[in-house]
Amino acid sequence: MQTSYSQIHQIRQLLDSKQLSCSELTQKYLDQIEALNPSLNAYVKVTAEKAMETAKAVDRKIADGGHILPLEGIPMTLKDNISTSGIETTCCSKILSGYTPIYDATVWELLQNQNAVLLGKTNMDEFAMGSSCETSCFGGAKNPHNIDCVAGGSSGGGASAVAANLAAFALGSDTGGSIRQPASFCGIVGLKPTYGSVSRYGLIAYASSFDQIGPITTCVEDAALVYDAISLQDSMDSTCRGGSPASHALKDDIKGVKIGIVEEYFDGVRDDVRAQINEAIRVYESLGADIVRFSMPEIKYGLPVYYILACAEASSNLGRYDGIRYGYKTAHYDNINEMVRKTRSEGFGKEVQHRILLGTYVLSAGYYDAYYKKAQNLRGMIVKSFQNAFQNCDVILAPTVPTTAFPCGSAIQDPVETYQTDLCTVPVNIAGLPAVSIPCGFDLKQLPVGLQIIGNSFCEAKILNVAYQFEAAARTSSFQSVNMGVQL
Amino acid sequence: MSISRDDILQIATLAKLSVEESELPELTKDMAQMIAFADAINAVSTEASDFDNINGLVNVMREDVVEPSFSRDDILKNAESQDDGFFLVKKRS
Repeated sequence: MQTSYSQIHQIRQLLDSKQLSCSELTQKYLDQIEALNPSLNAYVKVTAEKAMETAKAVDRKIADGGHILPLEGIPMTLKDNISTSGIETTCCSKILSGYTPIYDATVWELLQNQNAVLLGKTNMDEFAMGSSCETSCFGGAKNPHNIDCVAGGSSGGGASAVAANLAAFALGSDTGGSIRQPASFCGIVGLKPTYGSVSRYGLIAYASSFDQIGPITTCVEDAALVYDAISLQDSMDSTCRGGSPASHALKDDIKGVKIGIVEEYFDGVRDDVRAQINEAIRVYESLGADIVRFSMPEIKYGLPVYYILACAEASSNLGRYDGIRYGYKTAHYDNINEMVRKTRSEGFGKEVQHRILLGTYVLSAGYYDAYYKKAQNLRGMIVKSFQNAFQNCDVILAPTVPTTAFPCGSAIQDPVETYQTDLCTVPVNIAGLPAVSIPCGFDLKQLPVGLQIIGNSFCEAKILNVAYQFEAAARTSSFQSVNMGVQL
Repeated sequence: MSISRDDILQIATLAKLSVEESELPELTKDMAQMIAFADAINAVSTEASDFDNINGLVNVMREDVVEPSFSRDDILKNAESQDDGFFLVKKRS
């Protein structure tokens, strides 16, 4: 099937050469969303009026010969946990139903300054807690490669929309793999930036020391372009120092680049996924990269460390939902304590309540030392383990997920089993590192396999260049075989 | 570590969640499963680490000057009940 992907630079060229107006382009996307969203469930809100308004402003600017910015007029989406002033933002949770932020997240402000065209808000696991998008109160997003399979999570809606060409790019958030895993499942590119390189102001918190916003795109060049647009220092987030531009670094030769292969990343990885990763390693060897193999025993504890610490932070962050200031409030109660408890139990879904309870448990007297403190110590050991690893190599290659997209409904039946799909993604969040997932082939069922490239802190340019060289050599754009969405 | 239904009720109270009697058996089972999963970290011995944040980040500060903030009306917009510039909460009975 002919691929219908639209990369940002293709759209840029069409708009700048006036072959297509931004209004026509935006209308095409809105029409396709209307046609396909009922089956994909990628969007939970479409902002058609606002999109057309921005598109017309872009058309006027182009006609007037104004200075055109890189993302000017590019149709895109935001995950529903990124605050948009005047546009309902729910985290796909009943508890935030009807909540309309009064301010913009910094990332959205930066994109608005470039006149990016917001098509709508995309589906996600409730409060970003899940790996299938199915804990969303709107139901899960479907995978465009096979709509009986999940799009992945938690940023499943954004990945589904980009893979089906219902948006040129999406912003997601990644706490334990929530950008990379759905990008892997949907056969596209997802970048989780270094902790502290992109502002979290206006990102509704799940686990504050892990959360990071990043781009979901159809190619590496676009990921670099969007990363450059959003990785700026922000006075509203004291942990954000901004990043270094990555777009300019994409054409560098990778001869002699040291690529680390860590054996623990391959434990429990399905054979047909492993085969594709091994093939990717061979491509890198043919490009002149040096492969170094070693072990990092500490990352075996990544999953429990992540779940203990992320749930602890979530139990605190989600304490603010009490029904008083915003969102859902229970109808019947006798006193304030009952109001708060009933509001929370009726408003939060099952998985969110489980994680709040686990987080409260590991922080409570008598268990704090055995769980929270121990996990923090292990976090320190995992950080050191990566620091040592990057003395021996430039980047680490790993599978993004041990499997591929699973059938809809299967994650809900066994939540703890589903946590295992985060095995290869959580170590990066624990250590605050950047990592990108790019498509590298298909499994036996013709579902996409993702290759993860991990770098040292603030080395986005390096990992994106390594990703770009693979994409060029293996021509991964030919892997993208979904024939859906906007045809340009 | 095992977890009892009384533990669950105690944690739920701390977390301000209400748990119905009928939900307790399944919730106790689910929580026991999650705690068993978390227990994997006890298989490894750790030294006290000096970990306090990642990437050696230091607070990024701005000048301490008053800047425009939100208006009271805007902040009250999302509240279900409000009156005279305040959030309204029902009195304890």
